[in-house]
Amino acid sequence: MSSQLKINGETKTFDQGLPDTLTQLLETLAIDAATVVAEIDGRIIERKSFAQTSLSEGQTIELIRFVGGG
Amino acid sequence: MTPHVFYELKDAVVGIAGLGGLGSNVAVALTRLRVGKLVVADYDVVEESNLNRQNYFADQIGKHKVDMSIENLTRINGEADIEGHKIRLTPDNIPRIFKDCHIIAECFDRADQKQMIVETVLSKMDDVVIVTVSGLAGYGRSNDIVTRYISDRLVLVGDTVSGIGPGVPLTAPRVGIAAYHQANAITEILNDRLKSK
Repeated sequence: MSSQLKINGETKTFDQGLPDTLTQLLETLAIDAATVVAEIDGRIIERKSFAQTSLSEGQTIELIRFVGGG
Repeated sequence: MTPHVFYELKDAVVGIAGLGGLGSNVAVALTRLRVGKLVVADYDVVEESNLNRQNYFADQIGKHKVDMSIENLTRINGEADIEGHKIRLTPDNIPRIFKDCHIIAECFDRADQKQMIVETVLSKMDDVVIVTVSGLAGYGRSNDIVTRYISDRLVLVGDTVSGIGPGVPLTAPRVGIAAYHQANAITEILNDRLKSK
């Protein structure tokens, strides 16, 4: 079953079904959770809740990734 | 800019989290604009290695960045209202220190610290806008640094990919471009709020 999420404005299709949680999505995308701010449907998700945050079809997800320097 | 706009910016309170390459330069721009009040925070002292991009002077090495920023900004405007906090910012103290601010500029160096303050402001401080930066290391590629309005409360400046690393230094021009993107976004947001009043 293929499923879709809108991530940073682009539709991403998951042929094997959605990752169960936000943590699993970040692992799939090879993103370090320590340097990302996540919003799902406009709502901020705190990093400590990533592992308990389940995903569902059609959600809009913003992943703001930080690199060092300032 | 009209005198009317200047008068209105006198009512704005802007937080600056970190007084390094970004924060020390954002503070200069906002002081020249005569933004009403700045709340600035940093835990560090000026080091020689800072002088390649940060708004300090050689005779300020070893002195606290908060004190030296206030000194320098007050030379631009003797009536500048600047509240300084010599403290390491954490999820617990950020909402208290910046409680009066309409907008906060994230001006940290480390990626995990940037993550920390953006998450803290968005989850714990209602109605406060945060203007953050990701991706400014190196030189050249001026036009890769952009300002993105992610949501009503989150603005992201930078190219999002150029982190500091071996052979990728922080330089005055490119850090300065990002800092002035931040200051310009803050100016725009403050003025848009006035127009909608």
